[in-house]
Amino acid sequence: MKGTVFSVEEFALYDGPGIRTAVFMKGCGMRCKWCHNPEGLSMAKQLVRRDGHCLKCGACENFRLLESDSMQSAAERCPQGLWRVSGEEYTPNKLAVKLLKNERILNANGGGVTFSGGECLLQSEFVAEAVRLIRDRLHIVIETGGYVSEKDFMRVIPLVDFVYFDLKLLDDKKKARLYTGADIDVILANLKRLSNSGVSFAVRMPLIPGVTDTESNYRAVGDTVKSSNADFIELLPYNKLAGSKYSSLGMDYDPCFDESKEPRVRPEFFTALGIDARVY
Amino acid sequence: MTERVIKIYDRLQARDYRNERDTTEYDVATDFFRRGLSWSMRSAQRLKFLAEKEQARLYKGDRIGFMRSVANIPPLFTAEEQSERQRDFYIFDSGVVGNISSNYEHVISCGLEHVRGEIVSSTCEFEENTAEHDELCAMLVCIEAVYTVADKYKAKAEELGCRELAAALKRVPRKGAKSYYEALVFLRLINFMLWLNGNKHNTLGRFDEYMRSLYEHDVKSGKLDRETAKDLTEEFFISLNFDADMYPGIQQGDNGQSLMLGGLTPDGTYVFDDICKLCLEASLELGLIDPKINVRVCSKTPDEVYELGTRLTKRGLGFPQYSNDDVVIPALVKLGYDERDAYDYTVAACWEFIIPGKGMDIPNIDAVGFPAVVRDAIYRADGINTFDGFYDLTERILGEYVEKIVRETRNISIEPSPFQSILMDGCIRSGRDISLGGKYNNYGIHGAGLSNAADALASIKKNVFDEGNFDFDTLKRALDADFVGFERERKLMLAAPKVGNNDELADDMLIKLMDGFSQACAAHKNERGGVFRAGTGTAMYYVWLSETLGATADGRKKGEPFAANYSPSLGIVTDGVLSVINSFTKPDLTKCCNGGPLTLEFHDTVFRNDSGIKKVAALVKTFIRMMGHQLQLNAVNRDALLDAQINPDAHKNMIVRVWGWSGYFNELSTEYQNHVIKRLEYLG
Repeated sequence: MKGTVFSVEEFALYDGPGIRTAVFMKGCGMRCKWCHNPEGLSMAKQLVRRDGHCLKCGACENFRLLESDSMQSAAERCPQGLWRVSGEEYTPNKLAVKLLKNERILNANGGGVTFSGGECLLQSEFVAEAVRLIRDRLHIVIETGGYVSEKDFMRVIPLVDFVYFDLKLLDDKKKARLYTGADIDVILANLKRLSNSGVSFAVRMPLIPGVTDTESNYRAVGDTVKSSNADFIELLPYNKLAGSKYSSLGMDYDPCFDESKEPRVRPEFFTALGIDARVY
Repeated sequence: MTERVIKIYDRLQARDYRNERDTTEYDVATDFFRRGLSWSMRSAQRLKFLAEKEQARLYKGDRIGFMRSVANIPPLFTAEEQSERQRDFYIFDSGVVGNISSNYEHVISCGLEHVRGEIVSSTCEFEENTAEHDELCAMLVCIEAVYTVADKYKAKAEELGCRELAAALKRVPRKGAKSYYEALVFLRLINFMLWLNGNKHNTLGRFDEYMRSLYEHDVKSGKLDRETAKDLTEEFFISLNFDADMYPGIQQGDNGQSLMLGGLTPDGTYVFDDICKLCLEASLELGLIDPKINVRVCSKTPDEVYELGTRLTKRGLGFPQYSNDDVVIPALVKLGYDERDAYDYTVAACWEFIIPGKGMDIPNIDAVGFPAVVRDAIYRADGINTFDGFYDLTERILGEYVEKIVRETRNISIEPSPFQSILMDGCIRSGRDISLGGKYNNYGIHGAGLSNAADALASIKKNVFDEGNFDFDTLKRALDADFVGFERERKLMLAAPKVGNNDELADDMLIKLMDGFSQACAAHKNERGGVFRAGTGTAMYYVWLSETLGATADGRKKGEPFAANYSPSLGIVTDGVLSVINSFTKPDLTKCCNGGPLTLEFHDTVFRNDSGIKKVAALVKTFIRMMGHQLQLNAVNRDALLDAQINPDAHKNMIVRVWGWSGYFNELSTEYQNHVIKRLEYLG
């Protein structure tokens, strides 16, 4: 069994308590217009070009059409080394060995490992197996948007120590479909499963100006969190650099909302409901 | 900052006062030669001459002051004498006393009249016309020179209505300081005089240790509130920057004004108290390159200290630098330092561990370029068919490099410095100038390019011996050709294990090289009876030694620089900072403890919020617990540096860490600017 990972990031800052290594799994079922991690969208390997001095030698013509097997050798053809392949295959064991190498530092600070993405639960069999190999020795967090099947979801949830569950748009099914490509009902059903599982979790809400920061969405998310067992909610104001990684993948960033506007950050809305709210 | 201090700060940043200096090239040596003055007396007479030339430059509202008006320090020797010295002796650096740490406490608490009494009594012990008697007389001349400067400032302070300073100078430097404020004025005066005396890399040592009693006394008695204490400390810090453009160094900023805070006491308690915090706050608020803040930490250091330190790191000045008492103190004891003295260690200009008042160590006397050692071994590897055999050869060559340094550093000559000698323990009693030696006279050798060399060894083990990808002959041809036509081989070298990835093979090579270095040094003594200390610093040698060195077996091309200090090779992509820490804490650093930090660079966004700061602080703490010896962190933004090269005016006050010091980015040569930028290539 193999999983496709696009980054193993040591000292990940925003992915749980303490000093952590984050594993970013490739592939996601959602298509949020504001996604800042486009490498995580497709489960397939991709060629990525970094900024740098291009000699215009033409070696990279047709790179975007290549099959995954030929990507590595293609990347090496760039004389300036500007290209790399995003997406590395790991067996659960190989990943576990890599993560455990830093066990001492990760454990010394109440940290551990976080599986993120993309949507890490789309590769639930791989993640479950990797988690089984390390869970006795490392604290495990997962970050999920909850847009996966019940089977995928429940394969992993009982194995982990903590979950960050994203709630993005809950007030309007159609709007949610349009902006995130997801079906709210699937997400809410998984939230209920998580809430009943006994595993500690927090909700994360991205604040996108004019989209998720509306009064009615605040209310919808507030009500949902209130009736769940979430420990707290974390508000993530939109990052204006979200679009910066698209061109390196040959993709266009089309946010469909006014990026220049500041999102409305209202932790007090949740506090008034008796929910512990934090802003990132 | 108070409005008063902002005014002084603005004056510094405008830099206009720097145009008003007397830039005459005075000649004193011809006269000294004619009069047949001894070297010590020449040094003292020069100080007297300069003190008389100096004009007090003070501004309304100043409470500390001391700003140079004479730009050039004339040489002690005539050109002819100087070339004779160079012919007959080994002259290290520019051959002046520097890079040591004074015993400020004694002078500041007793005052110079008391010290003068000590000197006079000591003269009675020696016959006239002896070197000792002459040295002591020279010390007395130096004290007069200090008074000359102090009195000019006192008069000027009275004239301008700087009442506090005038009052302070009525007491100090003749008498000991009775308040924290007087001690600051006194310390600044000594610092000013050391620079005027031509000493180099004048460190500030353990500031909290020698200032604590007066500070606490003033705070407890209600004489000093914390705001005023901070105000004065800030003014003192600013004053250390007034003349920094004239301080000699490889690049501007390389002036050695390091200041140490905190540390373990011999009874095992860890101290980092209010005066230490005050200094961190002052430095944080000012954002100036001097003084360069160092913090002693250990397993007992509370989290709060790391968090305060990290807030200062966020300021982007490239400090504080942390030194680990749990490693450094036992290491110094192993090297032969008395335990009591080891507990009192501070750092020299950059990171070398020295003892205030007692050490006349030269901890940066030379460097071994490790990549050259491994390269030499490749060219002498005929008939070698095991890796162990190859490694033994490497170690033998390492021994030869160290021996060469031992040989070449003999017959040293250093200009006497009676003024500095007044500030060093035992010189007054012995009548011996500190340039001739102190209690400790050890030499330190930097280990430049350790990572490149370990990577090269790992590559040879894997490619030549384990996998047989190429043989020594091909390797030699590839290195000779700087890899042109040997792209396949270079790719294999680059793909071999690298230090910084927590990789067992590569890290083992680092361990071996450092143990070998330590053993090679242990085999020798210097002519002053001192030992040789193996270190992990590079100073400017990462550029100097790499410029002319051909390609190396780690895949490094001809002329490419080594890593600065104890860090992964330049341009390699590591798995991340946790792996780097793992790799660099594996060697037993008590064996290789001349100094030289692991440097970690973080994008400035890491420090965006409290949670990021706490995480960085936890990382530093973990490094210390894992027995790393020294750590230095940078908050950087590569885009901003690139922009500063194009639009220097928009980034006038941008500060970067270079090797053991921080400087204004705009004032670095392009070569060093580019090196700093290259270090950050993979940081976004």
